[in-house]
Formats: sequence, C-alpha cells, structure tokens
Amino acid sequence: MATIELRDVTKDFGGVQVIHGANLSIEDNEFVVFVGPSGCGKSTLLRLLSGLEELSAGEIYIDGERIDHLPPARRGLAMVFQSYALYPHMTVYQNMSYALKVARKSKQEIEEKVRAAAEILQLTELLDRKPKALSGGQRQRVAIGRAIVRDPSVFLFDEPLSNLDAKLRVQMRIELTNLHKQLQSTMIYVTHDQVEAMTMADKIVVMRSGHIEQVGAPLDLFNKPVNKFVAGFIGSPAMNFFKGQIISADEGTYEAQLDNGTQFKFKAQAGRLTVQDSIDLGVRPEDLQPGNTGAGTLMGKATAVERLGAQTYAYLSSPINENMIIHYAGDLDIQSGEEIEVSFNLDSCHLFGPDEQRIEFEG
Amino acid sequence: MSTLNKKSGDLGTWLMHIFLGVNAVIMLYPIIMMALSSFKTNQEIFSSPFSLPKSFSFDNFAIIWSQTNVPRYFINSTIVTGLSVLVLLVVGTMAAYALSRYKFKGNIMISLFFLSGLMLPLRLAIIPLFIQLKALGLVDNLLGLICIYTAMSLPATVFIMTGFLRSLPSELEDSARMDGASEFRIMVEIMVPLITPAMVIAGIYNAVPIWNDFFFPLIFIQSPEWKTLAQGLTAFFGEYSINYGVLYAGLTLAALPIMLVFIVQSRRFIAGMTAGAIK
Amino acid sequence: MAQRTATIKTPFENALARRRQLRKLWLVFLLFPAIAILLTFVFLPMASAILYSVYEWDGLVRGEFIGLGNFQKVLLDPRNNQFLINAFFNNVKVFIALMLVQNGLALILALFLAREPKGYRFYQIAFFLPVILSTVIIGFQWKLFLNPIFGLVNTLLRSVGLGDWAMPWLGLPETALGAMILVNAWHWVGFPTLVFLAAIHRIPKDLIEAARLDGASEWMIARDIIWPLMAPAVTIIVVLTFIGSFNWFEIPYIMGGLEGSPAYSTDMLGLLFYRTAFGSVSAGNSDFGTGSALAVLIFIFIFTFSTIATRYLTSREVELS
Ligand SMILES: Nc1ncnc2c1ncn2[C@@H]1O[C@H](COP(=O)(O)OP(=O)(O)OP(=O)(O)O)[C@@H](O)[C@H]1O
Ligand SMILES: [Mg+2]
Repeated sequence: MATIELRDVTKDFGGVQVIHGANLSIEDNEFVVFVGPSGCGKSTLLRLLSGLEELSAGEIYIDGERIDHLPPARRGLAMVFQSYALYPHMTVYQNMSYALKVARKSKQEIEEKVRAAAEILQLTELLDRKPKALSGGQRQRVAIGRAIVRDPSVFLFDEPLSNLDAKLRVQMRIELTNLHKQLQSTMIYVTHDQVEAMTMADKIVVMRSGHIEQVGAPLDLFNKPVNKFVAGFIGSPAMNFFKGQIISADEGTYEAQLDNGTQFKFKAQAGRLTVQDSIDLGVRPEDLQPGNTGAGTLMGKATAVERLGAQTYAYLSSPINENMIIHYAGDLDIQSGEEIEVSFNLDSCHLFGPDEQRIEFEG
Repeated sequence: MSTLNKKSGDLGTWLMHIFLGVNAVIMLYPIIMMALSSFKTNQEIFSSPFSLPKSFSFDNFAIIWSQTNVPRYFINSTIVTGLSVLVLLVVGTMAAYALSRYKFKGNIMISLFFLSGLMLPLRLAIIPLFIQLKALGLVDNLLGLICIYTAMSLPATVFIMTGFLRSLPSELEDSARMDGASEFRIMVEIMVPLITPAMVIAGIYNAVPIWNDFFFPLIFIQSPEWKTLAQGLTAFFGEYSINYGVLYAGLTLAALPIMLVFIVQSRRFIAGMTAGAIK
Repeated sequence: MAQRTATIKTPFENALARRRQLRKLWLVFLLFPAIAILLTFVFLPMASAILYSVYEWDGLVRGEFIGLGNFQKVLLDPRNNQFLINAFFNNVKVFIALMLVQNGLALILALFLAREPKGYRFYQIAFFLPVILSTVIIGFQWKLFLNPIFGLVNTLLRSVGLGDWAMPWLGLPETALGAMILVNAWHWVGFPTLVFLAAIHRIPKDLIEAARLDGASEWMIARDIIWPLMAPAVTIIVVLTFIGSFNWFEIPYIMGGLEGSPAYSTDMLGLLFYRTAFGSVSAGNSDFGTGSALAVLIFIFIFTFSTIATRYLTSREVELS
C-alpha cells in the first residue's frame, strides 16, 4: 500500500556522480522492475530508496510523505538481497523474527507473524534450522519471509534469483508473482534477466549509467523504445541495427539510404531530420525474414545456425552489420557459410536519429 | 595425503623419519624429565636421574601449595592475563570494527597509527613508562601491568581483528539495518558473534606471551603478594635453590595449565601464535 | 531553488545532521578507548624516552638539559663503551647463531613436515610445545639440566662414556653463550618451523607437481621452487629473529644473571640497558639519562636495520598470482 516518488535523486560517491537526477513515480501495488547494464546504478537507486545510502541531492516521497531523512527501518520498506544475507548464527525462526524483536513486539505477536509468513512460504518445517542447513531456494524463501513479517508497504529485491539454478528461478519467479498478488504491496525488483523483467513487471525502468532512459509497461518498451539504447537492451536476442543516411528531406517526407545501398522512403515529423543526418534502422531478429518479400533486403553470410526445430536462429555477417541475428519461427534449412538473403518491412522497423532518439513514422 | 609425499621407503624418507623422530625426542624429553623429576626426592634426583620416580609422591607439590607463594603468583597471573585479554579483545575489536566497517575521514590515518604501534618496542621505553606509572600510582599494582599489556598488544589485536572483520559481507550489516537494529546491536548481535573463532585466535595470540612475560613484572612489581607466576618463579628459585624436587615441581606446575590447553587446542594455538607472522 | 533549500529542507537536513552526528559519536566511542590507551602507554613513553635522553637525571628527578651529553657518555666514555661494544658483539653472535641453528633447523624441519609424513600432527605439537612455555620455565629448567655436578646433561654424558665432555657449561666463558643460544633455539624452533610450513603449504601444489613431472629431484624442488616462493615467510622470520636477538634479555638474565656472567661473556644490550637504567654493581647507581640514551640508540639501530632488511628481503619476493 504505497506510492513512491523520486525527485531529482542524485548520488555521488566521493565526487563521482553515479545517479544523475532520477525522477520516477511508482503507483500503489505496482510491480516495478529495474533493468540496465552492470554498473548503471540499479542497486544504488534501490539502496537510496531503502535508506542504506544517503542522497546527495533530491527527495523521496512515500505516500506523499518525504522520507529521505529517515533511517531504513522507519521507511516501511523491506529488502531482499542477492546473497540472501541471512544471519548465519541464527535459526530460520530467529532470522525471520529479528526485525520484530528489535521493534520490541510481544512474543505472541512475533510468533503469530513468523508462523503466518512461514505458512505462506512453506517454511514451517524449517524454522529451527540454521541457514547453513538449507538449500539455495529455501534460503531465498527465508530471505523473503524475513521481509514479509515486517508487513512492509514496499518490497525491494536486488537480483534475488540470480544465485539460483534455472529451474528454481522459474519456480521462484512464479511464486513471487503470486506473492505480489497475495500481499497487494508495491514491489521494486532489480534483475539482469529479460524474461523476469518482461513477465513479472507492471512497469519496467530502464537505466543506463546513472540515467533513467525509459519507464513503461513491458510491451510498450518492446514496441516503442524511446531510443537506440532501450531498443537494443529490451528484447532477446537483441535488435539488429543498420546504419544509414538521409538523402532527401521534403516537408516530412524523407528518403534514406542504408550503408549497403538499400533505399527507402518514410514520413515523419517535418524538420526532424535533414539531409546527411545519420540514422540507425533497428529490426528485431523476428522481423527479419529469409527471402526478398519485404521492403528492404540485405545479403548476409551465415556464420552459425541454431536449428531448434520449432524455431531457428541464424547468425549472419554482412558488410552493414557483422553480427546480425534472424529468428525464424519454424525450421529453416541453412548451412553455416551459406550466403542468404533476408528482408524486412518498414512498418515493423524502428528508426533512430543522429541523437539516437526514436523517430516516429507518420501516416 | 600431500602430493609432496610421493615416494616412500627409500633412503631419503628413512633419514627424514629419523631426523624428525630424534628432534621430537629432543623437544619432548626435557619436558618429560622435568615433569618426572617433580615427583622425585632430592636423593632420587641425584642417584637415579633418568629412571621413573619410585613412587608418584605429591610431596613436592604439597610443599609448593602450603609453603610457598606460588599459588598466589598463579592467581595474580590469572588475573593479569585474564583482564588484559578481556580488555584487549573488547577495546581492540571495537576499534577494528570502526576501521573495517565504516568509511570515514581519517580512517587510513588511524589505521596507520595502529600499524605504527606494531613497530615500537615498549621495553626500550621502560624508564618513562616507569615514571609515568609511578605518577599514576600504578607501580607495584596489577592494574599497571594490565595497562601495559593491553597497550602493548593492542596494535596487533586491532590488526588481526580488522582482517577478520573485513571478510564479513556488508549485506549482513545492511540487512540488520533494514531490520531496524541500531549500529550497536548490529555489532554486538550480528557481526561479533560471527568472528568468535577470530577472537579465540587473537586471545591466544595475546594470552600466551602475557602469561609468560616476566620482564615487565620484574620492573613494576616488588611486593611478593603481587608477583606474577613467571616472575615469582625467580624468587621461588632463590628460596629453594637446593631442593631440586620442589624446583622441578614448581616448574611443572607453572607449565602445566598452558600445556594442557595447548594439547587440547593445538590447532588454534598454532594458528593463534603464528597469527602475526603468517599473511 | 535556493529559497526552497532555506525553507523546506531545513527540518530534513536537521534530521540528517542529527543522524550524522550520532554516527560520529558512535565512531568516537568505538575508537577512543584504543587510541587513548595506545597513546598513553605506548606513544607517550616512547616519545618521552627521546626527551629523557637529553636531560641529566638524579634518581627519579629530571635535572638539566644536557643535549647529547648522555649519548656521549654511552658511546665515548671508555668506562661505558667497553661494555657497550662487548654486549653489542654478543648480540651479533646471538643473531648469527640463531639464524643458522634455530632457523636453519626450522627450515629443514618444515621441508620435511611439508611432505606430511606419518605422525605429522604429533611432530607439529612436539616441536611447538616449548614455544608456548615461559622463558622463565625454560631458562630455569635448562639451568638445572646444565648444572655441572648433577645436571642431566653432564650425567647423560658420563653415563655414555663421554665423561671428558662433561663441563660446567654455564660457568665457562667459552661455552656459556653457546649453551644459552642452544637453549633459545630449543625454546623457539617450533615457531619458524610452523611459519615456514604454513608458507610452503600455501604454494600451489600443481607448481610442485609440474616440477616433479619435469624430472626435478626433491632437492631441486626445494631449492628452485619452494625456497623462492616462501620468501615472504623468510623475510618475517629474519626480521623477527633480528629484533629478538637485539632485545635478548630473559634467557641471559635467568641463566647468566644481570652481569652477563661468566666474565661478561653473556652480556647483552638488554642487560646493559637494565643495569644502566636501574643500577647495578658494575654500572653504579641508577641513571635514567644514560639509560634513555642507550635505549634510543638501540631503538634506532634495530629500527634502521630491520627496515633495511625488510626492504632488501621483500625485493626478492615473488608475487604468487
Ligand atoms: N560504495 C560505493 N563507493 C563508490 N562507488 C560505488 C559504490 N557503490 C557503487 N558504486 C559505483 O556506482 C555505480 C553503480 O553501481 P551499482 O552497484 O548501483 O550498479 P548496478 O546497476 O547495481 O550493477 P550490477 O548490475 O552489477 O549489480 C558503479 O559504477 C559502482 O562502481
Ligand atoms: Mg547491483
């Protein structure tokens, strides 16, 4: 039960700015996922929110109240760490009850809350064990349980599943989604995993070197990335980019030529581009199809082919992009080393101007 | 088995075993003789020095117990060693905790300050120390010894504890902070319990030399009732200089407690005592 | 923006400032006791020692400033400096002998123990056992053993027919120092042994395996692989032995007495310092001034040489990556 607002949040470590004025609103009960390359400041942003780091400038509001001067425990947040950070010398029960004990809750209340959380997470059997005697997945659940007992209005997760094996991750992903439904609380979740981000999030926040690049629903980000970085970051395998140049501009009607000679016309906001502007045309692997049925065609030499039966990934090298990927839904009989032709349709492409910002096609 | 130990049965291996064995005998035999002689009478020591005692009589020990100050020395040494190590571990761990877990201006300076303390041989400052303690009324006083030992061993303790405390993950601390624990509680309830093995090592590292020291008591303690065991033995040797059985019993008694602990806890002892020399 | 800072932010900044203040207090609470103790009982006396050495002293009372007068007395007055030179060379002998006997033996023992022979744990405990005992116990015990008439050493020699070798070990100027050095080696050999052993164990096993596959003999492995790679431990032991040798006090004090008997053959800088500072038959009355000067000189000597030695020895260390 909480809305969160960050205003011009800035953080520097010994003079090096790592968060540059972040603005962000989070609705009540939203599941928000932070993604971005390693070192872009996701953890730092989370720690600023939690109070583990002090802001260098800016303000943070929870439910309209400014909280950035409060110590972590008084912000009504709970955090689950990547390494779980369970207290090794305490039993599961003691781990889960520690926050309540610190808050001087009555024995009875502590017992009730811990039991209830243990029930939700199927930890009842394990309450007397020490963390050392638990599996990775169980530890993860204890870490979550420790957060639940505090009844926080916001849960913060910093890459909570990255230490688990693939199968457990899928399972925990589903459990967490269910938990979110059950607890009806706001959750902020940092991950490196595309699938986690796309499947779990109500809203994804894409970050790059301390800046928030785009905020939006998963499919909005996928379909309408605001810039080349987001376009390349969201979606797996990543989007293919082809460089080109504007060769004529006339009142919102433009003609462009890709570096391999392919030319195409499009309409966009008048004056947005001028002749000789460099552009990037982005085509997702699934929008690049073998054959020459599309509007633009390219030649590429297959360097590797992965035939999975239901789908095929082919890695192509061509002068315009040495590492193109095509994703074909079905089996495609190509051999490595083969020269093939691929094509795309303009309406499934993304265009980025010289400033790497998205250029919306019109008409 | 070590990969170093590939061949066995050849001449070199035999030589090695003989060398190690002879050396072990040389190391252990004197200690065993000391213990055995403590059960002997003077005549027995002269007439049959190498044989087992005729009977394991505790007469010599009884003399020590009832007629000498050795029990008193023993208590004094226990008090001095116990309190010094206690204060050292508390104060040293506190300082090490600040240096290892917090970033603050002056952290490096203060670390260097402690490090430089490692290189100062306090024995050479014995004169000013004497005058200073005299002024504080701490000469001929166990408290004076405790102050000296604590100060002298602090740099190494801070050094050892800092190393161990650094190795604890910071997420534990963060997690406790999220749980609302105060900095004090985080230290006492979360972090310190995790380094108890390190505290044992640091404790042994300090306790053994303090228990064994006799240089500082030699200078700072005069009254018989405040002498420590190591120092008291010198007085005791003067008194009983002709009763060898009693002398051996005194030595055995002084060596016994620390030897027993060592044999039970040898791993920790070795780790503890070499803690300063092994990186 | 500036206005907002002034009006709205203040209460928040106050709260933050309070928290920062509290954190500062906490750090002070953690650090203050240790710093205070160390300053009072280590740094202050060390600094005072230097100060004291430039004053004249009458018992516990500080007299006039006399510059380097005390140093002159220690170094140049023939009545003092003959003791100083004698003691200094005795310390040098101790250092060299301990390097050869104690540390040399330790190295051999460590190389053998590194092969983890049968009885490995037992040997470790046996070699280390004397290390944990007080020098007083060791000193007196060996004094009893070395007693010329009924001491175990001579009794043993006689019983195996080496009666000619039996002698008053601690009573002869030719043998006293050697005997004490051997006692010290017996006392401490376990320490360098286990430090060397730990260093050898830290050498990656595959390095030694690789050398063995290359056909190197055990001796070549020890010389070409183990020895260079255990250099850090050697540095530490050499420096510790150096400091220990020039601070040597307990064994000669107990076994030879304050005057380094017989005939000053076991006199050491530590004993001389003690006599000068606190008075004795040969040194006369207690003199804190010359005592402090001597202490400062010993400190400067030890500090300089151990720093140089550390520098030199560290330069031959190789990084294990
Ligand atoms: N305590 C600190 N002191 C100095 N710099 C820091 C500190 N913590 C983080 N940084 C720097 O801030 C930047 C952001 O780090 P952060 O941990 O937030 O990245 P991240 O997005 O969480 O990366 P990852 O995906 O690898 O976890 C990095 O460049 C990092 O080096
Ligand atoms: Mg991170």
